[in-house]
Amino acid sequence: MRFFKQLVLAIAALAVVVAYSPQVSAQSGKPIKIGFSMALTGVLGAGGKSALIAMEIWRDDVNKKGGLLGRPVELVYYDDATTPAKVPAIYTKLLNVDKVDLVVSSYGTDVIAPAMPIVMRSGKVFLGLFGLDVNHKFKYDRYFQIMPAGPNPAQDWSRGFFDIAKEKGLKSVAIAGADAEFAQNAVKGARANAKQDGLNIVYDKSFPPSTADFTPILRAIQATNPDIIYFGSYPANSVGIVKAANELGLKAKLVGGGMVGLQFAAIMKNLGPGLNNLVNYDFWVPAKTLKFPGIEEFLKKYQAAAAGKGVDLLGHYLPPWAYAYMQVLGQSVEATKSLDDKKLAEYIHKTTFNTVVGPVKFGKNGEWATSRALMIQFRGIKANNLDQFKMEGTRVVLKPDTVKSGDIMFPYKK
Amino acid sequence: MKISGFWIGIVLVLAAGFVLAGVADNQFLFFAGYVVLQGLIMAVAWNVLGGFTGYVNFGSAGFFAIGAYTAIALHQFAELPLLVLIVIAGIVCGLIGLGTGYLTLRLRGVYFAIATLAMAIVFESLITNWDYVGGSAGAYVITPAEVPFFDSFIEMMFILMLVLSLICVAVSRYLSMSRMGRGLASIRDDETAAECMGVPTLRLKLISTTVMGVMMGVAGAPFPFFVTYINPLSAFDLLIAVNAIAMPMIGGTAVWFGPVIGALLLGTIQQIVTVTISSELNILIVGVVLIGFVALAPRGIVGLFQDFARKRRGGGK
Repeated sequence: MRFFKQLVLAIAALAVVVAYSPQVSAQSGKPIKIGFSMALTGVLGAGGKSALIAMEIWRDDVNKKGGLLGRPVELVYYDDATTPAKVPAIYTKLLNVDKVDLVVSSYGTDVIAPAMPIVMRSGKVFLGLFGLDVNHKFKYDRYFQIMPAGPNPAQDWSRGFFDIAKEKGLKSVAIAGADAEFAQNAVKGARANAKQDGLNIVYDKSFPPSTADFTPILRAIQATNPDIIYFGSYPANSVGIVKAANELGLKAKLVGGGMVGLQFAAIMKNLGPGLNNLVNYDFWVPAKTLKFPGIEEFLKKYQAAAAGKGVDLLGHYLPPWAYAYMQVLGQSVEATKSLDDKKLAEYIHKTTFNTVVGPVKFGKNGEWATSRALMIQFRGIKANNLDQFKMEGTRVVLKPDTVKSGDIMFPYKK
Repeated sequence: MKISGFWIGIVLVLAAGFVLAGVADNQFLFFAGYVVLQGLIMAVAWNVLGGFTGYVNFGSAGFFAIGAYTAIALHQFAELPLLVLIVIAGIVCGLIGLGTGYLTLRLRGVYFAIATLAMAIVFESLITNWDYVGGSAGAYVITPAEVPFFDSFIEMMFILMLVLSLICVAVSRYLSMSRMGRGLASIRDDETAAECMGVPTLRLKLISTTVMGVMMGVAGAPFPFFVTYINPLSAFDLLIAVNAIAMPMIGGTAVWFGPVIGALLLGTIQQIVTVTISSELNILIVGVVLIGFVALAPRGIVGLFQDFARKRRGGGK
């Protein structure tokens, strides 16, 4: 009996301590579960892992500040292996079995699209990470996508590149793209921009995504003597293109465009000076014009967390956006003081969010209201040096004009 | 009239499926169940040619994808009912299967296997460059939010897949146990000897490849409606072909129920592993289990049980 009394007293004392401790009481509720599938393995595995690190940093940051609505945040996720067929079952489990409060997407169009019908039927707000124009078929008014490709993603993506061509008075263009989803959307947009600007398309062909040796393709392009060469390519292709362009001494005035991979630390380090003067898309680079509040602190945390995990060491490409789409969700929950999807969607539609990637405003179709896809130029790159990419000036922002950090070095090769 | 246990089993499984659809609230079961049943049809289909007839097909993903893309093309053209799409996809893939059967006139063994793999690559290139079905950028399918007689679209898809699976299993059993099945087995054991004994080898091989094609096409046709977004990369996924081979090998290729056991076992493990450990581990599991069975129990689980039963009988004497 005496023991029982002591136990009751101890529990009561503990309850008093808990009640008067703001940190603990702030997170004493049931966790808010945010569910998602993530491409942790498969084709986009490396990118997906780096996105997850960023999302975990956001979770820890939020929980340190007392969570959302006074409740701790918990991430519930499964690896979709970049396989679309796995996604419907995962989102059904998240919603029906795990009973998550909020959902966000995996990384990439292929694995975002299969989740859409499931999420739409549950009426959940759905934040997308680097999906290209996924909503054009679904037209879901609670879908919001963080990649800043703009309201007409396929065409807005390369608009800056063709604006540069226009300013320089260039006349002819060669377009080459890999035969796969993103690259084909990219070249489709490039084709539309070229036609809109009245450019003469002298070469327009696709290549298999597995292509690594680009010498024959670049020779064929060179034979048409274009002013501009626009590539839509995947990482392995992009490496092959840059190497072949340097070996052949490719002569064109403006080269680059939609080359995936040239944003990744390992590839930039590997290609080194071969990148100089290429003009390519990017979403964030170290530049005065892109120093948004919180980005440097985030990158420091990311780079510390990424070491030894086999992911991108710089974290300039995908991780800030993975952090930012969670910020959008978190800020919306705090502002509406609710997990109600209708309220959240209305709030996201009308609000400009302050995030580590700058102000984010979504348009009607859930894409950015205006494009902020960057066209950057590699400049003064030295061999075998990763740290140089942390400095300003190695990737100069040419477009859009609102965040421009320097002028173009022109032409690509004399 | 005597009704065999098999047909009673078929009716019971079907009834269980309907009961599950009626009482289960957990939609995840239907998604996971759909994937397992899709694997089951592919395994049964592969076994008709690979197990019964002895012709190894590495191009399963090609047949599956042709089924899926036939459905996409017709859906783009006229939004036909899903059942009609499945039937047409089955016919298209059956005809391609028939064409594959004629390959066996010139190719046997490893050469036939390589030819089926090459055929899948050819089809992938064609689809990748066919803009009408989305080309390399892929195609979207918007599925209805409500369907008659079912609580949800996935519930309907699950029951549909269950019915198709049972039909495929019944066809496979008929092929295996009939006179035709003995003819196929003779081709597997020694095609030249079978030919000499008067077995109509070409006709049987053509039936075998056509049935295999129809079944794989039928498995592929509903796939775009399951994932809602399809591109050549996901439709021609190598894992589809690997699973179609691994499941019968693990279950046992000599009998009709071998691939059923293998598909239910491996498919269920894969679904559980996806939401517990890691999706990528699936591939490792398939690889390790397949190597294990090929090396230690080449006749699969069914063979293991048969050996066990034989030893017990022998011990009892």
